[in-house]
Order: sequence, then C-alpha cells, then structure tokens
Amino acid sequence: MAADTLNTDFIGRLGRIFRMAFGMGLLSVLTLGIYRFWMKTRLRRYYWSSIRPGGRPLEYVGDPLEKLLGFFIAVVILAFYIGIVNLILMFVSFSLFDGNTAAYVASFVGVIPLWFYARYRARRYVLARTRWRGVRFGVDPGAWGYAWRAMLYWALALGSGTLLWPLMTHRLEKFRIDRTWYGDRQFHQGGTARMLAKGMMPFWLILAICAVVIFSNWTEDSIETVLGIAIVSLPLLGIAFTWYSVRSFRLLTETKTAGSVGFRSHLRAPRIIGIYIFGYGLAAVITGAAAIAASLLFAALLFASNDAQFSLDDLDNLTAPGFALQAIGFATYFLVFVIWAALRHVLVTLPVWRHYADTLEIVGAQSLHDIRQRDRDEHREAEGFAEALDLGAAI
Amino acid sequence: MIWPASNPSAAPPAIFCDLFDGRSAAIRRVSARVDDTALILTMPEGETLSWPLASLRTVPDQADDALLVLTTTTRALARIMIEDKGLIKSIRARAGRLDAKPPVRGRGRVFGWAAAAVASVFAIVFVLVPVMADQLARVLPPAGEEALGTATLEQIQNALGEDFLPLDFCTSQDGDAAMDLMLARIGGKDLGLPYPITVSVLDHPMVNAFALPGGQVVFFRGMLDTADSPDQIAAVLAHEIGHVVARDPTRIALRSAGSLGVLGLLFGDFAGGAVVLFLVEQMIQADYSREAEAAADAYGIALLQEANVDPGALGDLFQALLDEFGDATGIAAHFMSHPALGDRIETARSAGEGIVRTRPVLGDGDWAALKAICD
Repeated sequence: MAADTLNTDFIGRLGRIFRMAFGMGLLSVLTLGIYRFWMKTRLRRYYWSSIRPGGRPLEYVGDPLEKLLGFFIAVVILAFYIGIVNLILMFVSFSLFDGNTAAYVASFVGVIPLWFYARYRARRYVLARTRWRGVRFGVDPGAWGYAWRAMLYWALALGSGTLLWPLMTHRLEKFRIDRTWYGDRQFHQGGTARMLAKGMMPFWLILAICAVVIFSNWTEDSIETVLGIAIVSLPLLGIAFTWYSVRSFRLLTETKTAGSVGFRSHLRAPRIIGIYIFGYGLAAVITGAAAIAASLLFAALLFASNDAQFSLDDLDNLTAPGFALQAIGFATYFLVFVIWAALRHVLVTLPVWRHYADTLEIVGAQSLHDIRQRDRDEHREAEGFAEALDLGAAI
Repeated sequence: MIWPASNPSAAPPAIFCDLFDGRSAAIRRVSARVDDTALILTMPEGETLSWPLASLRTVPDQADDALLVLTTTTRALARIMIEDKGLIKSIRARAGRLDAKPPVRGRGRVFGWAAAAVASVFAIVFVLVPVMADQLARVLPPAGEEALGTATLEQIQNALGEDFLPLDFCTSQDGDAAMDLMLARIGGKDLGLPYPITVSVLDHPMVNAFALPGGQVVFFRGMLDTADSPDQIAAVLAHEIGHVVARDPTRIALRSAGSLGVLGLLFGDFAGGAVVLFLVEQMIQADYSREAEAAADAYGIALLQEANVDPGALGDLFQALLDEFGDATGIAAHFMSHPALGDRIETARSAGEGIVRTRPVLGDGDWAALKAICD
C-alpha cells in the first residue's frame, strides 16, 4: 500500500545547471535572443524533473516554438499599443503640463494592468504544460479579472502604508489557487489574511523606527538624515520582507487543499535569506572579478593595436578601435551578462528551489489515485505577453 | 529444498517499474521486459501492453540520469519510468529512435506571425510614429515646446558637466551683443516664429552646435575656437535655425518617445539587450536626422544668400573639420546623424558662387568679442 504522506526530493545538480545556463546563454546572445525560448524550455524541463514529490518527477512539456509564436503575437498587439499610446501621452504631456513627467507616469501606469494580465496568462501557460504522474495541471481563464483585482489590492496595500499588504497577498493567492487544477481536482486556498499579518511585524517595526527617527530629527535641511536612514534600513527592510514572504508561502501552502489532499511545508526563512545574501554576494564578486579581468584584457589589446605603451599618458593618443576590437569589446560585455545569469542559477535559483522542494510534504496522498486527466489547454499565445514585457526574469 | 536448480532458459526475474497511463494519476507497478520488437508491460491484473521499440522516445533533459523516462508515439500521454540498469541498457541497445525529436508542427504559422511582428514593428517605427510625430509637432503649443527645450538643455548640461556640476554657459556683455548682432544680420529675428530664437554658448571643447525645441540654438566653445571667420559661425547658426523652423528637435523627441518602447519589446529580455536596443535606436535616430540635416543645410544656405553672406563659409568650416577628424565611412557612417561631410562641402561651396559679398557678417571688433566670450 502506498504511503499516505509523500516527501519531496530535489535532485538538480549545480554543475549541470551551470553548463546548461552558460552554454545556452551564449547561444541566446549569438541568435539576438531567439534561442532564449529554447533555453527556457530546456531549463524548465531540467528544473521540473528535479522536483520529485513521492519520488516521481514533475514534467515540463512546453514547446519552444509555441513560445516563439506567442512572443510574435504579443509583439504585434503590444507594438501598436505601446508605440502609439506613448507618443500621444508624450504629446499631451508637453501640451498640457509643459513637461514629460506626466507622460512617463501615465505610460507606466498604463502598462500596469497589462503586467498583471501577462503574469496570470504566463502562470496559466506554465501550469498547463506541467504534468505529474502523467496528469496535467491547469488554470481557468481569468486574466482580466486578476488584473483589476491586483490593481485594487496593490492600491490598498500601498495606500495603507503596507498595513493591508497581507490582505493583498492572501486575496490574490486565493484568486489564483481557486482557479488552479490538477487533473479534474480543483485546488482551494484556505486561511486568512490575519494569519499572514504577524509576518509583517518585523517590517512594520523597522518602518516605524525609521519614521520616529526621521520626525524627531526633522529640520530644514535633513535630507542627509533621511538618506542615511534609507541606506541603513533598506537592506534590513529587504530581509524583513523576505522573512514575511517565506513565512507567508509556508502558511499559504499549509492551508491549500485539493479535495482530501493537503500540504505541509517546513520552509525556513533564515535559510532562504542566507541563500540570497551569500548567493547574490558571491555571484556579484565572481562576475565583478570576471568583468575587471575582461576589461583589463580589452584595454591591453587596445593599447597593443595602437602600438602604445600601457600608460595613462597615452590615453589621448588612442584612436577609435578597429572593427575586430569593437567586436571583441561587445563579446566581452555580453559574456559578463551570461556569466552573471549562469551564476545566479547555481548560487541562488537552484539552492532556493531545492529548499522549497525538500521541505514540502503532500498529505492524504491516497486520494491522488482517483484523479483523472484534464483536456489540453491550447493557449495559443503561450507566455508571449510576459516575454514581451520582460516579466519572464528567471525561468 | 525441493525447488529445482535455477534454469538458464527460464524467464529472468520480473523487473517492476512505474507506468502512468495518461488517463489518471494512479501509479501502476507493471513488470517490464523487452524482446526484439517491443517493450512488453504486464499489468498487475495480468493484461499486457506492447510498445513497439521503434515507437519509444525518451523524455529529454531529465535531471535523474539513473532514471529512464519513456513515452511512446502511439500514446503520447503515457509515461514509463525505469530504474533497472539492465533493462535500461537493453532498451538503449535495441530501440533505434529513442532520441528522435517529435515532428515540428505549425512552423508555417510561426513564420507567418514572425513576418507580421517584424512588419508591424517596422510600420509603426518607420511610418506611423514618424507621421504622427510630424503632425503632432505642428500642433504642439509653443509653451510646451519651450518647456521641452529647457528640460533637454538641463539634461545636456548635467550629462556633460564634471564633478556633478552642470556645464556652464559662456557669457560676456560684448560677446552676447556680437551674437545678437549676427542673429539680426542673417535675418534670424524676423522669421515669424511663435518664440524668439535664443543663442547660447556652452563652455565645452566639443566642435559642435545643436538646436533644441522652442527656438534654442546652442554652440559649444570648440566651435567658436575652430572657426576662422564670423561667416563660418553665421553659416552654422543659419543651419541650426533651419532645424528650429522645421521643428526637427520637437519631432525627434516625439518620435523617440514612440519608438523606444516598441523596440524595447523586441530586445528586452536577454543578457545585455539594453545595448542592442540603444544601438538600434541610434541607427533609427540617425536615419531620421540625415534627411532633416539636408533640409536644414538647404534652409541655412537660402537664409545666408538672402542676407548676402557667403554660404561657402560653411564649406570652409567643414573642410577644416574634415582635415582634422576625417569623415566617417563604412559601418560607422550608419551611426552618424549627418550626411557625409564631403557632400556637404560641395553643396555649400556651389551655393556660394555668384553671391556678391558686401561685407563680413561681423566687424573685426565684434568677432574678437565673440571669440573671447568664454575667457
């Protein structure tokens, strides 16, 4: 008889992910970004198959060509919107407000609903192409409904000085999860915003201290004070917010159900915060060193090609580099970006995923056997909108 | 023991693996064996499935090298996961098309949409946005144009300044008066524009001058230093006035507002895409202005001829620039915002023929005051 509680293991390896991310990153640059759809597909296959609830790997079955198609569809639609709307906004802004600030603000605000719309559609696409034990996941349509709710809750969260942030977290997660399916089994998000609120306490505490310090020291020229406090408090706020996010993920996971199937998570916030600090720190150091080495090498080549000695006095004698050197310069520049992206997979993304997976348990797994397959969701434009709006940051 | 001794011809011990039939999430433990033609799976209930070897395909990019995940082209949703090394080895040895890629479907549709995407971006960036920008530039209120010009000038001063201090203007009583005189002499004061033309000099060694929205013309100190005669400066001024009258700076600001976002869609999300974006934008911008520059040259020459100033002076100045810096050729030429200098020298000199020069645009004293405006 199969166990009723399933543990999840994660078997992705650093070396393999680095080779994939680095090699395919270079290919993406060489193809002016076209290969990125293949890169994304292959990386997802690898990450998905690394996650094994009950020892059975997830499978990603998305197709690179459908992503490319979706991207083109999104470009056709968005090019018109963004080109014409931005131009008109700029004109109106100059005519009525004698400046371009209004245009930048309006153009940014105009993209926000599209942003949420694209996020929902991308999630729907990715889950529709995810299978476990041979059965598809799925998400009901609802991207516009999500977009206006997201705008509303974001406005509430920011307008209340982050006091209503937990409400936003819970309501938006509930909207997404209640429309998510595994086969013919619908998920349900339980819990309350109140249970998440405690996690914001450290964040609010730091905010309150900052506010008290600023107002008690308020003078005519206290810009330096404000800047100093911002520099000290921003990293702390970042850590406090990560703590809130990880804690919320754990609580929201434990209050999710799919019929009689439930979940438990032993996610630890300090672990995730540690991975972020150490991982991004180390990635920045290594990328920085690579960038410095590459620019020194390039400078040496530049001097060599001009027959000059390596000395600052000769800087004025340099003429513009030839075509070959320009090409080398560009290649170096892109290489640094590719190294950074590959290191981020190895030092941040994979360790974070490993911890999220390792700490996940599925309870009531007996009833999984009754779940039936669901129909394929064609989803023609795939995650094209998210891709065109640059929302598909990691994988 | 009454069991018979092991018999080499008997079936090997059953190997069990997981079958997912693609209809439900149930895990079926099936016994698997492979013969010369097929992978044969025996269900717990005794029923058997036969997957032809030629139809077997691996699921690619699996993280677990010790696990073979197979599907069959006859039932694309079904999966079998095999851990047994011996069975994996014999399947790999016998099934010929394990790593074959599925046939690509919908390639035509992808090319169709790719063409549509490229066409719509081109149409918007090169036709729709320029046409709209030209129309809108015409109806933009003068106050808006002036505000735009002021904002842009501040950005330029900050960008070229050093030690976080914006670049300074050069000004002196005699120098400003001389510049004003030059403007009046070439007819720059009565052009019927909604705003007066204001000329200023920035303290920077660059040999250049430019026009901004709202009637601003800005010289760099390097241009005054390079010029040998007041006529040369007058010729540059006339050229920049050509831009002001054509409202080129305003059109270009509106165009880039429209096209930059569209290009960002295409090149946004991959390593260093911002640089590609910048270069593409630069090329388009340069292409816009090559036409505009030729028109401004023509306008400037006409203005000088009207005022009986020798347009050939512009040619002399360009010749000096050409001798000092050389002309951009090849790839670099596509990134330059002006037509080739050689062509412009020829145009300016031939326009100078037949002009009866009465006197230089400024007297020696005024010219000296203008040259010394930054001292």
